[in-house]
Amino acid sequence: MADYDVIVIGAGNGGLMAAARLAKKNVNVLVLERHNIPGGCATSFCRGRFEFEVALHQLSGIGTEEMPGPLRRMLKSVGVIDQLDFVEMTDLYRVHSIPDQLDITLKPDRQELVKELQKHFPEEKEGIAGYFDFIYRYFSEALGAFYMQDPDISKEKYPLYFEYALKNADEVMNEYLSDPLLKFAVSPYWTYIGIPPARMTFHDMASMFVGYCEFKPTHIKGGSQTMSNAIANGIIENGGRIRYNCGVQKIVVKEGRACGVVTDDGEEISARAVISNASKVSTYVDLIDPEHVPDAVKGELKQTTIAQGAFCIYIGLDCEPGEVGITESTNFIFGTTDPEKSYQQMRKLEITEEDIMLLTCYDLMDPSFAPKGTSQVVLVTLKYGDSWLQVPPSQYAEKKYECAESMLKTAEKVYPGIRKHIEEVEVATPITCMRYLSHPKGSVYGFDHHIKDSELFLENRSHIKGLHGVGGWNGLCGFQPTLTSGVVMAKTVLNELNAE
Amino acid sequence: MKHEILEQMDGYGDIAKEIEISRKYGQDFSMERGEVARYINRLHPATIKYKITEIIDESPSTKTFRLAAQNNYLPPFQAGQYVSLFLEVNNIRTSRPYSISSSPDQTGHFDITVRRMENGLISNYMLDSLVVGDEIESSGPTGVFHYNPLIHDKTMVCLAGGCGITPFMSMVREITSRGLDRTIYLFYGSQGIDDMPFHSELTELSNKFNNINYIPVLENPDSGSQCKSGFITGDLIKDVLGGVGDKSFFICGPQAMYNFCVPELEKLGIARRKIRREMFGTPARIVEYNGWPDEIKGEDLFQISVNGSESFQSAAGVSLLVALENQGLVVPSICRSGECSMCRVKILSGKVFQPAGTPVRASDSQFGYAHSCVSYPLENLDILL
Repeated sequence: MADYDVIVIGAGNGGLMAAARLAKKNVNVLVLERHNIPGGCATSFCRGRFEFEVALHQLSGIGTEEMPGPLRRMLKSVGVIDQLDFVEMTDLYRVHSIPDQLDITLKPDRQELVKELQKHFPEEKEGIAGYFDFIYRYFSEALGAFYMQDPDISKEKYPLYFEYALKNADEVMNEYLSDPLLKFAVSPYWTYIGIPPARMTFHDMASMFVGYCEFKPTHIKGGSQTMSNAIANGIIENGGRIRYNCGVQKIVVKEGRACGVVTDDGEEISARAVISNASKVSTYVDLIDPEHVPDAVKGELKQTTIAQGAFCIYIGLDCEPGEVGITESTNFIFGTTDPEKSYQQMRKLEITEEDIMLLTCYDLMDPSFAPKGTSQVVLVTLKYGDSWLQVPPSQYAEKKYECAESMLKTAEKVYPGIRKHIEEVEVATPITCMRYLSHPKGSVYGFDHHIKDSELFLENRSHIKGLHGVGGWNGLCGFQPTLTSGVVMAKTVLNELNAE
Repeated sequence: MKHEILEQMDGYGDIAKEIEISRKYGQDFSMERGEVARYINRLHPATIKYKITEIIDESPSTKTFRLAAQNNYLPPFQAGQYVSLFLEVNNIRTSRPYSISSSPDQTGHFDITVRRMENGLISNYMLDSLVVGDEIESSGPTGVFHYNPLIHDKTMVCLAGGCGITPFMSMVREITSRGLDRTIYLFYGSQGIDDMPFHSELTELSNKFNNINYIPVLENPDSGSQCKSGFITGDLIKDVLGGVGDKSFFICGPQAMYNFCVPELEKLGIARRKIRREMFGTPARIVEYNGWPDEIKGEDLFQISVNGSESFQSAAGVSLLVALENQGLVVPSICRSGECSMCRVKILSGKVFQPAGTPVRASDSQFGYAHSCVSYPLENLDILL
């Protein structure tokens, strides 16, 4: 029987990063990946003369060489930073309402964005300044209390943190801002978490905003697949092994300890530790026999609900982005200023103007991203998988095209003429996400990130000896959090291996 | 964070209560065991097992194999898509993509239509050896050569050569049997009328349905034939269609046909985005392909070592995938045309030839990965599976 120190199930961001760190420390590591390519969400696919970015919109935490962000340091630690070219995005985002009531572009710079917002909403000048001042004041406390894990944490030392960490983002906005359009303009990032401002933590909203403003949103030349390939390459160069087209059907648990896996082909491979980058649901429900699943993890699973999948249209245009009026890389398009309405809409199959939509165009900051004279555009909205699971397979393609059609119609209101230039198009639904990620209901954000399910209440802990989880089902989702989860877990596993 | 710290935070009590309730009454995911795989299997099964229920002679060189699922369930597909058959012939495990020629509304069976090829290991094996009742296996339906209502015009101009007729058969059959509001002009190029599968069915459908226009184009027509003769040229297309506006063009046939027809369409001023072409295997003779280095002959032998252990010799003119299969090494593959990336392998050292335009991800090239089905050794190779 083949034997390794550590087996990693799944080559997503978390799995790759964990394996890369372990391989770097001379741990004998095997990565098993069901798909033929590494990355999970951090991937690409080719159609015609385009290579489409699947999931990365704005990478956080990179910063500059002079002022490196936490993610840059991590990528450096696995020796891949020199193989990646980062391009700083010059805009934070543009928000555009339908009908045309608001069209504002914010730069990733605190002073500039405050000024721009004040120009559009002069009657709320003070509130705007006050809100961003507060975000920064809160974050500087959260930095010590939460991110640096100050051992001397106390209410006296971090009063804002203790008062606001569990508040929802809407409550705090309401203290400073009143126009719903303004509130919308400062909070479209709720869609990066999946839970509207009134239900998500102010902490997450503040952290995202400060993170993007200070370390700048970034694009990777060649797309996120380049990063996945670079990390995978690092694993191999450090003596680790990756097997593609090799799914896992079972995690072997003996005497309360994870001690290996059985692959889809029935091969048993043993290991001293198993790191699962599969969803937490599949890890504990599909891969482990029920008698080995502890009550504690059953409780954690019951506490949570499953987040949205993505509905995406990947578009290759046979023209430059400017020709159809695309001037910013990140564009939020919305038909209602009420995020709760947009959130309810996410439970429905149909796409209407109430669905908040993100349009990303990579060529604006990286003209080499698509062939000369062309451009690549992705339209995304979030949809819970439940309604898609009701669609009979025989009607799936038809429904997919219907929904994409109405999404394109909405996009055309902001970018007239975009339809006439489409050379390649591919549509992904929550079912597509489910197919390629094996996530229940095609969730791309793991569990719903309600306040009660934030990291403060659901820490990423091991429930079976020798078994650990990485990726978006064990904390926040998104590139920086999932990559980070791999680094953190590699350290834990290394300590365990060394202790034995 | 420690519990006693959390307790001091504003709003903790309410959240703790919420957690208690959800832990007591929340959904028990154990009900979901196997659910993801079950659903995906209905839509995109990795493999389908069939029994051959009929073998139909279509023309002297062509037969249709009618495949019924052993479990009585076939997944949906879009007319124009293909399945890749997984076969073992002469102890070699391999795969071959075949477009489905039956209509998507025929849910009882898939038809695949196979033509005899010179030196066609698999096609000839199928035509000569398979009989009704044999069991056979394939991938799920896949591929992007199909009508897409988001970007395609309702009038489709289809150019078929030889066995490239099969995806269009599926489209024509679907449009007629479902009564779809779409029009097809099907130009079907062949040497002569006697070896032209589906000719009579297409003639009949074209007579019966106004939205199906069938235009056989024969290289060597019999004297007195009503058919168009020669090749499918731009002039001929324009003659039949009148205008070329508001139409989408689809091509499926051998390499030579693309080389000829694409420039013909471009001459008519048809935009690139209006032209779709199906991948149709690897070039028959790679050494004649554009960009192949003059100094290397197809029969030149190179040493190929795999995973640092096994090593064997293979010819430059044989794709890496076929070379590996011939050694009994299993490399998963589906499209065998460079498109699907299923067969990607890492080239640790040595150079391979890949036809220009092969859709390989940029970072795959950067880190030495190649699609083995369209990669040919130009030097000794060291590869990682």
